[in-house]
Amino acid sequence: MTDEPRLRILSSRAAAPYLRAQLTRRGFLGVSVGAASAAALAACAPTGSSPELDGTVESALSIYTWADYEAPDVIQAFQDANGTTITLDSFNSNEEMIAKLAAAKGTAGYDIVVPTGPFIPGMVENGLLMKLDMDLIPNFANLDPQFASQVWDPDNEYSICKDWGTTGFVYDTTVITRDLATWDDFLDAAQNEASGKMSMLDDPAEITGPYFWSHGIDWNTTDEGELDAAENWAVEELAPHIAAFDSYPGGGGIPQSLYVLMQVWNGDARFGIMSSEEPDKWKWVLGSPATELWMDTYAIPTGAPHPNAAHAFINAVLDPDNSLLELDWNGYNTGVADIEQAAADEGLELLDMVFFTPEQVATMQTGVVTDAQQRIVDIYNKVKAAAGQ
Amino acid sequence: MNRRAPLLTRSPVDLVLTIIAIVVVAFLFVPIVVIVIHSFNAGRLLIAWQGFSFDPYVVMLQKPAIRSAVGVSLLTGVIAAVLATLAGTLAGIALARRPGRWAAWFLITLLLVSVTPEIVDAIALLPWLVTLGIDWQMPVFNNGIVRLVIGHSLFSIAIVSFIVRSRLVGIESQLEEASADLYATPARTFRRITLPLAMPAVLTGGLLSFTLSLDNTIVSSFVAVSGSTTWPVYIWGALRGGLKPEVAAVSTVMFVLTLLVLALVALVLRRSGDSAASIARTLAAG
Amino acid sequence: MRARPGFLLALPAWLWLVVFFVVPVLQVVWFSFGRKPGIFGTHDNSVLTLDRYAEALDPTFGTVFLNTLWIGVAGTALCALIGIPTAYWMAVKAKPQWRGLLIALVMIPYWTNFLVRTIGWQVVLAPEGWLSTALGALGILDGPLEVLNTRGAVLFGVVYNYLPLMILPAFVAFDRVDPTLREASRDLGAGRWRTLFRVTLPLAAPGLFAAVILVFIPLMGDYITPSVLGGAAGSMVAQLVAVQFQAGQNWALGSAIAVILILAIVATAALGYALFRLVALPFAAARRVKLGAP
Repeated sequence: MTDEPRLRILSSRAAAPYLRAQLTRRGFLGVSVGAASAAALAACAPTGSSPELDGTVESALSIYTWADYEAPDVIQAFQDANGTTITLDSFNSNEEMIAKLAAAKGTAGYDIVVPTGPFIPGMVENGLLMKLDMDLIPNFANLDPQFASQVWDPDNEYSICKDWGTTGFVYDTTVITRDLATWDDFLDAAQNEASGKMSMLDDPAEITGPYFWSHGIDWNTTDEGELDAAENWAVEELAPHIAAFDSYPGGGGIPQSLYVLMQVWNGDARFGIMSSEEPDKWKWVLGSPATELWMDTYAIPTGAPHPNAAHAFINAVLDPDNSLLELDWNGYNTGVADIEQAAADEGLELLDMVFFTPEQVATMQTGVVTDAQQRIVDIYNKVKAAAGQ
Repeated sequence: MNRRAPLLTRSPVDLVLTIIAIVVVAFLFVPIVVIVIHSFNAGRLLIAWQGFSFDPYVVMLQKPAIRSAVGVSLLTGVIAAVLATLAGTLAGIALARRPGRWAAWFLITLLLVSVTPEIVDAIALLPWLVTLGIDWQMPVFNNGIVRLVIGHSLFSIAIVSFIVRSRLVGIESQLEEASADLYATPARTFRRITLPLAMPAVLTGGLLSFTLSLDNTIVSSFVAVSGSTTWPVYIWGALRGGLKPEVAAVSTVMFVLTLLVLALVALVLRRSGDSAASIARTLAAG
Repeated sequence: MRARPGFLLALPAWLWLVVFFVVPVLQVVWFSFGRKPGIFGTHDNSVLTLDRYAEALDPTFGTVFLNTLWIGVAGTALCALIGIPTAYWMAVKAKPQWRGLLIALVMIPYWTNFLVRTIGWQVVLAPEGWLSTALGALGILDGPLEVLNTRGAVLFGVVYNYLPLMILPAFVAFDRVDPTLREASRDLGAGRWRTLFRVTLPLAAPGLFAAVILVFIPLMGDYITPSVLGGAAGSMVAQLVAVQFQAGQNWALGSAIAVILILAIVATAALGYALFRLVALPFAAARRVKLGAP
């Protein structure tokens, strides 16, 4: 039946994009249709090209993003203000989105895509993204500099923060009555009170992440010894206690009390707790001593048919009022300066799960794709195999 | 003409069977009941009940992305089902009635289609469709619905072929032969005998094809183009921001419409089922 | 018979599958003889090697394949155990005019999205869900219901989602058994069970076999259904394929695992078929029963 890419989704550093070979006609077709003659192919050079960037907003805009990830009011306001019809399309994982852009060679027809940070270097290297024209995005000045220049795109040439989040855990205080504060506590509770009733995020890097974060090791390490130790920790100590791999426990695990301990992203945890019948029984803990910072970004794919509308839309979401609407909708920090005060004035709940102190942010590490990716995927497979026993 | 047992049955074994069947059908509907109730949820998340409200139905109408996704899924489902049913029925009849040396190869192809993990289909189809549509300049393959239909039809063709084949195989082809002996043309024999005989298999195969298409996610996600996001792709993508009650509202509306449409289909099914059975019986009895 | 070769009737389906399945999938299979080039590449066939197959056959594959096989066999058996009697009742016992409605009733739930159905079950089966509350109120259960994320929940999710693939083909199979044959058997003095085993089941056998195949084969290549309610216990080989194609961005290895998985499933199905023939042999005589008089 339908399968699906379903639960494995988001987040950092899961792998890299594609194939330069896919992008050049010769390379790709060499694989795909060996028999075709080069002459026949030369006649039909592919690739779409974008119209000129002159600030004239087009009448259509196609946004390719996670479903229901843009605030409807912002979409509506933009359509009304510019007479632009917005088409929203959904993907289930960064890899799918990139596969689509790579295969289409600039003809995918999307104007804005929303990749997660670590995927950007590969997309850039493969020519999938267009350089942004900052003259058309004056509201970029509203973005908190802290969330502007990220390791995957230091000068914001290709991408701008849409929202960012971090990883921690939530536990049921009626079952785990002691205080948990760190990833070490997390593991200890997993091995004791929460054994067989705990969930991990369904993402390779998130499985090994807590080991590195709790041991003061850079989670982007490629050191064999450190990876071996992480594997041993994940397979031997953690895996036997895992009940499920669930990337979105907030959408079910927390409100339905499916688990007593969950590794979870902050925005998802917040909505889960807000929707719970007994919100007081759940406690959110930011991963410590270190944890992750992931970021979803706006970018414009090469060959976008409506680049002016794309720039105008990105500019519009960086407006503080729109940004607040986005934050309320998604539950994630948009990185726009002074939004914390605006959100508090608006009376939004549980804001300590959206905004973090500079000290906390300093403990958050961004992920990058490294040569260790294959190893991390192997560890993930071993953990899944061991947890299934 | 009905010589079968009535619904209310006579023996204990029949009674047990009836109870099993009723329990099974009821079991199938349990989650649907939950969803219908949760479609009136005032809360932010579908799964967490926070009071009664009609809001999800209002919100549902305000989101064009939902309307578009459901529309794309229904359209694709119908086209894919019709296509798979046509191709699969012909193939199934050929396999049952005129298997030659080719049949083994064809069966292997069908088996491979059923056994290949969907992600492999998806990874394979995407660049191939782009090659056809862009490099070889056959723009029909750049159409989202066409791409989805192609992706959804693969497994469905195999299913229809298997069901139709198993319906006909082993039932001797005497009916067809008798018809031919009575000077019916092959086309007439096909239309009047073979097809009615296969009809229950054809219709159930078509229904299954439609159902599978409606739920297809991986291939859909890979091959879709701008404007052709399907309903399952929308739902799986929406997990990131939390599934909202309007998803249940859409499901409920579809469910209610389904009840209406399927009442119609059931009528058609019953008729063709009866006619197939009665033709077979009449001829068989001689 | 005078007719055209059957080949022509099968041609549209075959051509379609060759163009949109065989050709593109062979391309992906070809990747399995290559390697992953660097961190931003997915496949490269400039050097041909069988190394990916060696990598694919690591102990993890074995462990997960055993789990997959267990889920595949147990899930298919349970589907058959529940689905075949239901289909038999629908096709044989229920009034003919009810049958269309019954088919519809079996299909309707599956027109609601998979994920949405799953959420429906979670609300029922959760530790503090409907069933837990009901059983608690009746005094049957003390404390929360702990069924989700267990092996039982794996099978539950599989049975629920694959049942129509068992019931519908089985219904078609029973439906084709002409009632006059059963009556003839009874008239000739055969008992109820003898009629079932000597007439009904042998005549329905090809369809029942198709039903079992239609559940077992796709189930072996599935990785979502077993895990949605069953959690970590529902770990499947197809997940290893998917993760290499997606998170691993290693199409070469993903393709090699897929090829091995496909071969393993086909081998298992062939073994099952051989066993089936062995069991079905005693009924072979009954198979020769002809349809009607002429």
